Amino acid sequence: MRNQSKTLIFGIGNCGRADDGLGWAFLDKIKPHLPNNYDVEYRYQLQIDDAELVAQYQTVFFIDAHKNSFEKGYLFEVCHPRATDSFTSHELDPKSVLLLTKTIYHKTPEAYLLGITGEKFCLSMGLSNIAQINLSNALDFFNEKILNLVN
Amino acid sequence: MSQKLVIDPVTRVEGHGKVTVHLDENNKVTDAKFHIVEFRGFERFIQGHPYWEAPVMVQRLCGICPVSHHLAAAKAIDQIVGIEPEDLSLPAQKIRKLLHFGQVFQSHALHFFYLASPDLLFGAESDPLKRNVVGVAMEYPELAKKGILMRKFGQEIIKLVAGKRIHGISTTPGGVHRRISAKERAYFLDDQEIPSIDTMIKWSVEIIEFMKTYHITNKKFLDSFAKYPSGHLGLVNKKNGFLELYDGVLRATDSKGNITLDDVSNDDYNQYFYEAVEKWSYLKFPYLKHLGKEKGWNRVGPLARINICDGIETPLAEQERLDFKAITNGNINNMTMYTHWARLIEVLYCAEMMKKLLEDDDILSNDLTRKGKRRNEGIGIIEAPRGTLIHHYEVDDKDRITRCNLIVSTTHNNEPMNQAVRWVANNVLDGQAKITEGMMNQVEVAIRAYDPCLSCATHAMGQMPLELQLFDHYGNVIDKKIKH
Repeated sequence: MRNQSKTLIFGIGNCGRADDGLGWAFLDKIKPHLPNNYDVEYRYQLQIDDAELVAQYQTVFFIDAHKNSFEKGYLFEVCHPRATDSFTSHELDPKSVLLLTKTIYHKTPEAYLLGITGEKFCLSMGLSNIAQINLSNALDFFNEKILNLVN
Repeated sequence: MSQKLVIDPVTRVEGHGKVTVHLDENNKVTDAKFHIVEFRGFERFIQGHPYWEAPVMVQRLCGICPVSHHLAAAKAIDQIVGIEPEDLSLPAQKIRKLLHFGQVFQSHALHFFYLASPDLLFGAESDPLKRNVVGVAMEYPELAKKGILMRKFGQEIIKLVAGKRIHGISTTPGGVHRRISAKERAYFLDDQEIPSIDTMIKWSVEIIEFMKTYHITNKKFLDSFAKYPSGHLGLVNKKNGFLELYDGVLRATDSKGNITLDDVSNDDYNQYFYEAVEKWSYLKFPYLKHLGKEKGWNRVGPLARINICDGIETPLAEQERLDFKAITNGNINNMTMYTHWARLIEVLYCAEMMKKLLEDDDILSNDLTRKGKRRNEGIGIIEAPRGTLIHHYEVDDKDRITRCNLIVSTTHNNEPMNQAVRWVANNVLDGQAKITEGMMNQVEVAIRAYDPCLSCATHAMGQMPLELQLFDHYGNVIDKKIKH
């Protein structure tokens, strides 16, 4: 069913690092099909100030490249606010951003993580063949299950 | 049995590095090094591109301080089209400076609130699960909220001038490509949609007060941790020797305040600097030629800038500088942890300067570009958040870049950071039977004071571990810890 709430999609990655650009490629493809209640944000990495932005939405999707393999080439899961044992704070994982949103702004948007499996993360432009297939599968899933664009 | 301890990658710095500490059979430190293991190659692959592409391309060096690279390259390209910094139109100068102050403001805010404050608030040896920005936000939510909004303010200034927060474009050879509108300016002054510039100044003062209070209770730590004598290098205003971030002359002092580089013109930098190479790091080691490699290295960045300048043109920051200098009776401050304090004085200076520029009607003018006589060489030097940044380009008669030399701020700080690592190795790790996480973090605390920007790395989920390895003197891994 189409989500009518104010929704934000983060595309996270670096398109100069081959398949690390999957998050941005996803946004490029999905943007023309998004309803008016959707906004998109391109990010190299999530940072603490994204907590303030997230607080302004009812639903948030985090789209990022993933190095692990999945049956359909992507992982889709609910994302809960949680302090993670992250060793860095100049890039935050989605769960930590959500925790900051909850702690500082007292908001807990519905949040989901869509990780798309990549293969190459070297210094180059363009997606690998496997990443392109996985991206296509992830887009089909998002169109069908989230945007309800497929009959 | 000798051991080698590896911290790879160093955390809470921009990019990734590796620290190795060599211990002998009695756990005595025999050597310690800070390695930069990422390679960028911008100086090579920009060759052949038209010179006007340089400010756009080189800012891709970094996702944290792209504005600094954009402006340093722009200053160099200005020279190639025959325009010296003082030849730019006043509106162009002021719009570029507004962009620069916004960049330094947000970068310093990012560093203090996100990277440094966990160590300061919880202690370098506190629980690592708490010692991070999430821990700060949970325990000090108002502080975290101010940090977020201060960083956002700086990023909004960048977005105003350059079109977007990261990798925007503002400059054109000999000027800037657009003016600021009155409506755009009001966004930063009227306290409606975002806290105003006056609020930024107020919060900047409050954060310095926080630091002063912290200093009272933690003086011993601040005075002693990673303290060592060094040179200090930066730009100062060519007319009065005041703190200068956008355009000035190069000044350096030794650890006691004796001048070692006497207000040298940007165009002459090449006569004074040499870059040494070590096989264990991709990062070079710049030093002043006339002092040699052993004595000619300098710290750059906030501490160096506050040390070498004769004053600050904005009243609140100047008073803070005087208070800061009083701690060392007016002498040079060689105490690494005071870099955090110096950084906050610059936060206040940037806020005051942004107010001054935002209230200046010149930024609304359409007088944006100048043209001069074409040259084949350009040098742009700027004070980036992390220190002195040098861009040098040569072009052929077909407008293609034939040579590029970049000395980035973190390169200047290469030897100082190695000194800091050696200090911790000798004063914290030496002779210890067991190396704890807290001890390891102290190595990182010393490096983080310099806010090093090593490079932006790939970050796909699930694959950026903190890896610790312990080697025996045969090179065998005898212990290994990975933290995802």
